[in-house]
Amino acid sequence: MDWLLLAEFSLVGLLSGGVLALIALGFVLVYKGTRVINFAMGEFMMIGAYLFWTANVFLKLPWWAALALTLAGIAVLGAVVERFVLRPLAGQPVISIVMATIGLGAVLHGVAEAVWGGANLSLPQLLPRTPLTLGEILLPGQVLWSFALAVALIAGFTAYFHLSKGGVSMRAAASDPVTAYAMGIDVRRTQRLTWMFAGVTGAVAGIIVASMTSLSPTLGTVALGVLAVIILGGLDSIAGAIVAGLIVGLLESLTVAFIGGQARDLVPYLVVLVILMVRPYGLFGTRDIERL
Amino acid sequence: MSIIDRRRFLGSGAAAAGLASLGLPLRTALAQSGEIVIGAAPPITGVFAFAGAGLHAGLGDWIEWKNGQGGVAGRKLRYVAEDSGYKVDQSVAIFKKIVAQHKPPLFYGDSTGWAKAIAPEVSQLGSVLATGPSFASDLADPVKAPYYFMPGPTYSGQIDVLLEYVSRSAAGATKPSVAFVYSDTEFGRDPIASGKAKAQKLGIPVVLEVITKPGAVDVSAEVIKLRRAKPDFVIFHGYVLAPIPEFMRQMRDAGMSARGMGTIYSMDKSTIDQMGAVGAGFLGVMPYRYSFDTQKTPTMELIRQVGSRKPNNPWQTTFYTQGWLVGMIFEQVITRTLGAKKELTGPNMKAALESIAKWDTGGIFGVPISLKTHSIPVGRVYLVKGTTIEPNSDWITIG
Amino acid sequence: MRIGDFHASYRHDEALFDTRVQRIWFGLLLAALAAFPFVGGSYLTYLACLLGIHLISAAGLNVMTGYTGLISLGHAAFMGVGCYTVAVAERAGIPFFLALPLAGATSAAIGLVVGIPSLRIKGLYFAVATLAAQFVLGFVFREWESVTGGVRGANVPAASLFGFELAGDRRIYFLIVPLAVAMLLGARNLFRTRVGRAFIAIRDRDISAEVLGISLFRYKLAAFAIGSFYAGVAGGLWGYFFRVATPELFGLPLSIFYLAAIIVGGLGSILGTILGATFMTLIPELLRAMVGWAEALGLKEAGVYLAPIRQVVFGLLIVGFLIFEPHGLAEMWRRVRRFFHLWPFRT
Repeated sequence: MDWLLLAEFSLVGLLSGGVLALIALGFVLVYKGTRVINFAMGEFMMIGAYLFWTANVFLKLPWWAALALTLAGIAVLGAVVERFVLRPLAGQPVISIVMATIGLGAVLHGVAEAVWGGANLSLPQLLPRTPLTLGEILLPGQVLWSFALAVALIAGFTAYFHLSKGGVSMRAAASDPVTAYAMGIDVRRTQRLTWMFAGVTGAVAGIIVASMTSLSPTLGTVALGVLAVIILGGLDSIAGAIVAGLIVGLLESLTVAFIGGQARDLVPYLVVLVILMVRPYGLFGTRDIERL
Repeated sequence: MSIIDRRRFLGSGAAAAGLASLGLPLRTALAQSGEIVIGAAPPITGVFAFAGAGLHAGLGDWIEWKNGQGGVAGRKLRYVAEDSGYKVDQSVAIFKKIVAQHKPPLFYGDSTGWAKAIAPEVSQLGSVLATGPSFASDLADPVKAPYYFMPGPTYSGQIDVLLEYVSRSAAGATKPSVAFVYSDTEFGRDPIASGKAKAQKLGIPVVLEVITKPGAVDVSAEVIKLRRAKPDFVIFHGYVLAPIPEFMRQMRDAGMSARGMGTIYSMDKSTIDQMGAVGAGFLGVMPYRYSFDTQKTPTMELIRQVGSRKPNNPWQTTFYTQGWLVGMIFEQVITRTLGAKKELTGPNMKAALESIAKWDTGGIFGVPISLKTHSIPVGRVYLVKGTTIEPNSDWITIG
Repeated sequence: MRIGDFHASYRHDEALFDTRVQRIWFGLLLAALAAFPFVGGSYLTYLACLLGIHLISAAGLNVMTGYTGLISLGHAAFMGVGCYTVAVAERAGIPFFLALPLAGATSAAIGLVVGIPSLRIKGLYFAVATLAAQFVLGFVFREWESVTGGVRGANVPAASLFGFELAGDRRIYFLIVPLAVAMLLGARNLFRTRVGRAFIAIRDRDISAEVLGISLFRYKLAAFAIGSFYAGVAGGLWGYFFRVATPELFGLPLSIFYLAAIIVGGLGSILGTILGATFMTLIPELLRAMVGWAEALGLKEAGVYLAPIRQVVFGLLIVGFLIFEPHGLAEMWRRVRRFFHLWPFRT
């Protein structure tokens, strides 16, 4: 057993898991705030990356201006989606809302393909590439920096949720909307903010992923793999999303190492199936108490 | 008119208009007598859009130009094409629809999956000769796929060309080592088994095989394996663009000096340009002459003349060249069949196709070609240098 | 105008077609279906065959999701199981009238295996578990080369009945359409029985159903098995129709297509299945015709936008129906019918 090789695969896997954790954070935010899995998260990522490309490459704005515009645009998209798609469906059965987000994803996908075309586009290199060498182990620069960025963003969100008034009121509205209304919290506003945050998270993750590979309307399929992450971690747990993201990143890397690339997407799902038998609400998810 | 009469009149008028408009595409599509219909289901949108748009434009423009010259054997050509989005069920449906409505003797499809799905029907109909952008080895078989041909070498043939180049690139007795990086699709897996066999025959060690998802995002784990395996050449196959640039960049970051090699669909200039700086030194096999080749040839000049009158300059891509070439092959098949006073049926067109030998394409290929094997086993290895792609070998005929 | 509900016996009450008028219309429908390939032309016959396959599969999904409440994102993979089973069976020389039930049975068996975890997992977690099943089966299709032919896929020879080959759309039509009619009637009949009512109870309040003595485990598994059986048969017919089975055909987009079909049509209703599947099959044709008009009117590049527009229309239809007509086309149909039944009185 080549321990050095195992260590290298493990480290790289854990670091890649950072981006997965970031995308998972977007899913968990929406679920905590509105009890919905946003199957269109991949398309939010894709639209965010396309907006950035338009601002940065097409309009040739500097990256910070492009980023600001992208985030503003995605925030608007999130607010619009919440108001016109999710709010009319409040209280509908789960399958309706799941299908609504899937339909939304299809609309966004079609719009992106119509506006920007189906061809692959390139984003400029945003993350520094110099690798970090620890003896025999080489950690690619982009993976390191994407991990660092993901950690920073997750830490920022967690701090916001626990320390700021807006964040605490979002948590309150998520856990008990009725009491939150009674306490004077504008629950509708927090739900809108939830979607805007989720959109922003997705957009940043989308830009990172697009700059590491290429940009096309199929960028959103990355989010399918992240579904395994959130189920593993528990749909409503941010800590679960982070831990599960790292675990899935590690698993994918080790799968490539010892089995081969064709099983890479599959192994996280297999693990999820096994874990669900033992813990039906994921590792850290809260148990649903059903009332008759 | 009383109210009821007026309503009925309006209602029946609306119904008639509705029915008539359903017939509108049918009406405009009814071929006049003597016209030869060429059907197509190219992948203009979807993951293969970068190629499909050029293929569609090349074939369409050739047909338009040829009609301007008076058609083929005195008969005009009519091009009926519909986008398939690179989905097999779509392209099969379009094929069935166009065959039912127009009865084309020649058809251009979109993928290996499509070719295999329609093969039984094509055999049963016996009236269509099909081709497409797929170069899968199974389909270059005059016995098993009698009514299909491909306008270039099979993927196995392309890998053979690359392996021959690798073998000749080393002066001494030890051959350079090779790694295969391919996608987990039919497109990707097609030539790998024969490629490994050929490498063994040439004495080239295959140090690693990496399989990835078609649009792989994160390749860092795969690069770790490549770095340990230390190949001299890395052959990529089965990808549109991603993840080749990311592989090349991460390999350079990791200090690897291996050279990348690609097959036909990775070697168009639009794809190479997107690789940027890491593309320098990339090698690949391309069967056709590039539009910017410094050697002037009649057909490439013609392509430039006709294509540059259209917007967006698709004529500069090798996919346009391929579409144009398909048109030229169709012309050969039609003239040879009608010239022998035969009908345009499957068996007759097959015979005509196989009779194409020592045919000078006027510059698309650097040597005269033959279509006896239902494929054109000719190609050249090119090297990416800065912003140009230059030939790095002679025109090689495989097999 | 229909007044009242004159049922004189329980049997009459439960009947599927309770008036003579309904029975006559149904007979006319059967006659029209039988005559269709001879008047419709080959492309319409092809569409009808495709519709028949979609109907069977959507009916299975509606039994699982619409009537029992088990959201399945992996329906296409079960169709794939049926399709590959038929391919393997034909290779072994098994004729189609045995291969199709075998395909259904194999799918049902795999459905049981996937459904076993359903005892503990609920709701969205269950949906993602079925998505996992979709990926696992897709992996098996791609990698189990000796049986499925791997990424190359498997060719399926034409179904043949003692030498008479069912090749060509017109012949396969007379296999697909009668089977579709029979299976739809079967599904409709299911919900006259105890099993069907148990499914509905599980969807509405599963814990209460368990209190009433309905074994959740057994009936949920039964729902999954029946839904997968239908998917398997539909997949087998797909194999005989398209003559090829590849892993890409049976991916997540197809699962989503069927979910959209039953939602647009109406969950929990066989009429909804029929309307939804028909609607979803004909929408691409309508869009194609519209693009044809646009091109004829001068917008030469309209063809490029066909695929994105199809996606956008698909998504808008789903979202639109969910917001404005959550019970789908079946509900719209019922409203129209009620209007005519009660005319000249208001509904």
